[in-house]
Amino acid sequence: MRLGLPRALTYYDYYPFWAGFFYKLGIQLHTSPQTNRTIMEDGLKKAPDETCLPVKILVGHLLALQDQDVDGIFLPRLVSMEKNTYLCPKILGLPESVLYAIPREVKVYTVDINWRKGKGLVLKNLYQFGEEIQRTKRQIREAFVEAQRWQKAYQRMRNGGWSFEESMECFEVLAEPVKLEKLGFIGNLPFTEDMDLQIKEKKSNPKIALVGHSYLAYENYANLNLLQHLKKKAEVKVVENVPSGFIEEKHGELPKKMFWSHAKKIYGAGAKYVESQEIDGLIYLSCFGCGTDSMTNDMLARKAREQQKPYLVLTLDEHTGEAGLITRIEAFLDMLERRKAHESYISPYGKRLDRYSNIT
Amino acid sequence: MKVTFPHMGNAWIVIQTLLECLNVDYVTPPPNSKETLNIGTQLAPESACLPLKLNLGNFVQGAALGADTALITGGVGPCRFGYYGELEKQILQEAGYDFDVITLEPPDGSILGLLQRIRKLAGPKNNWRKITQALLFAYRKSVALDRIENTFHGYRPLVPDSNRVDQLYDEARMNLLQAMSEQGITEVLNWLSDKIQEEKVCSYGENYRDKKNTLRVGVVGEIYTVLEPYVSMEIEKELGNLGVLVDRSIYLSGWVGQHVFRGLAQGYKPIKPYYSLAKPYLNHFVGGHAMETVGAAVKYAQEGYDGLVQLLPLGCMPEIVAASILPKVQEDYGIPIMTLTVDEHTGKAGVLTRVEAFVDLLERSRIYKDHKEGVLELAGR
Ligand code: SF4
Ligand code: SF4
Repeated sequence: MRLGLPRALTYYDYYPFWAGFFYKLGIQLHTSPQTNRTIMEDGLKKAPDETCLPVKILVGHLLALQDQDVDGIFLPRLVSMEKNTYLCPKILGLPESVLYAIPREVKVYTVDINWRKGKGLVLKNLYQFGEEIQRTKRQIREAFVEAQRWQKAYQRMRNGGWSFEESMECFEVLAEPVKLEKLGFIGNLPFTEDMDLQIKEKKSNPKIALVGHSYLAYENYANLNLLQHLKKKAEVKVVENVPSGFIEEKHGELPKKMFWSHAKKIYGAGAKYVESQEIDGLIYLSCFGCGTDSMTNDMLARKAREQQKPYLVLTLDEHTGEAGLITRIEAFLDMLERRKAHESYISPYGKRLDRYSNIT
Repeated sequence: MKVTFPHMGNAWIVIQTLLECLNVDYVTPPPNSKETLNIGTQLAPESACLPLKLNLGNFVQGAALGADTALITGGVGPCRFGYYGELEKQILQEAGYDFDVITLEPPDGSILGLLQRIRKLAGPKNNWRKITQALLFAYRKSVALDRIENTFHGYRPLVPDSNRVDQLYDEARMNLLQAMSEQGITEVLNWLSDKIQEEKVCSYGENYRDKKNTLRVGVVGEIYTVLEPYVSMEIEKELGNLGVLVDRSIYLSGWVGQHVFRGLAQGYKPIKPYYSLAKPYLNHFVGGHAMETVGAAVKYAQEGYDGLVQLLPLGCMPEIVAASILPKVQEDYGIPIMTLTVDEHTGKAGVLTRVEAFVDLLERSRIYKDHKEGVLELAGR
């Protein structure tokens, strides 16, 4: 059995879980290719105008999976991945809200993952799913343990400084044997070790933090290789570099807890970076139509204002051009350099760099 | 402490009643207007939901009248509404309004915390019995209020003189506002049904339209947009004036019954039945009112309504989910559905044109039953 998995949205945080799960069950996964022009354009065409960019990209990936040799598409509904939190309503609305994009004859497998009521419910739903794919409870239980192990391994790798691509590569070749053949021949790994070394040598480069959804930060097609561009001129930290203890700590300072796990992570990491002396400035990467960012970004921006930390908002949409993006980040990085050189106390932070700034 | 609160349709009548019963010093902000929205748009992040912007506008306008405390309800997600309180507090503080925001919700799930907040609002003078009574009375009033609104949805399309209907509606609301006892409420309701009977017979006579021939349209969507005429561009009224019988999926008391009284009270229009109807289309709740929207759409379709209007503010996450699913309901039942998205730039004229075109479409599809396909094609646009 081979299941197609769209390389979009929750793939970027929870792929290792599913990779481990299906690996143990002996089911092959086939992840759709990196987003490309066709995928993007199909998504934009087929998805409703109003929805956010990542959901549009997801629709593109679903369309791309149709032509693949798979027995069905796997699109889980992630309701909650940790206690007292949810994912975004649009993620809760999967798969039903994107079914229109898939022809009726394509089988869609789904399962609800809801940790709010604890492990019992998660397992119960997985058992049910197991019946659908002819797996016993015992097999499912074992696969679940393996899945959690993989997911934890991923988190450790990320905290330890592995890049997103490096870590995902490991999981993908395990869960998708086809990729083994290609191993070593994939030439476009974005960050080589040399580059990392270079960065370490050039001590004067500004240190910045890029915060935002994983499915934007690592979605190289949609973000126009933002990370690569940044890494050339700056030392970049991301949300996943912040250990969860710090995230809990910063998030705990809020009078009311946030109830979206991704927003909580972004806010917690962002707040940590805002206060960190090490970090010269923050870039918030958002996208058209994101509902939760409107709140997370506003709160982080306010915190940055209070701390006089330079803060830039980049909002991706389908019209974003690479040239404009580069100009924006260069201007921002220049400003950081100048600020450092003069140690000035003039706030570089104005409204134009805040919520009205937009790279479109 | 002087309390103010956000507007949402007729909710102010209910909240005002509650605060009055508790002897809390309050000020009702002026109704939503262009100015309210302008204030809110300036303060709120650009992509925040429209209701949040209007809330902020209400608070600032309330502050101008002396308010220093804002009263709102909360929640724990997954929709943005649950975080309004905290964000509004931060925004107001940064803008220089030293507002205290009382969010009526159990903080971190603690009921004790909720009781403390209610106590803070009600002050030391009220005992719990009085507080409970006040809550129940306000709730009953909101049921009566919803009944009045619904009466007008049924009445408006049948009479030729829309101005007279507006007058009567205002009169009914004002009478209800002043009713401060159970009996008072009953009297208002009786007065209204007598009045309507009387006008039917005396003023309109022959001109009174036949109920059988009216088009029936269900209104579904995000609760704030549906309830607040300033945001919905008075779409229910306009439909009524076009001779369409409107039925609305959610009412304030139904929402309060389900979310505040945890389903113990069902309110004027119970929400519960929608959930099972929605299941085949959306198997899990996603926050906001997506399930209610989908479930109500199915219900109206099954009851043979002529068409549906879905209302949502731009960027509303749950309703976008619902909007992506409604075409399936439209296809399965052959009921035309129009989705209307509003934001701060929406103009009334544009909305009216679309509504008129939609009603026109429904009229035609009733006459030429065979050409329904074409109608469905157009309806979603
Ligand atoms: S969190 Fe934002 S970007 Fe992600 S699915 Fe929700 S609305 Fe879209
Ligand atoms: S239901 Fe929609 S408009 Fe209301 S808070 Fe949620 S996202 Fe905003």
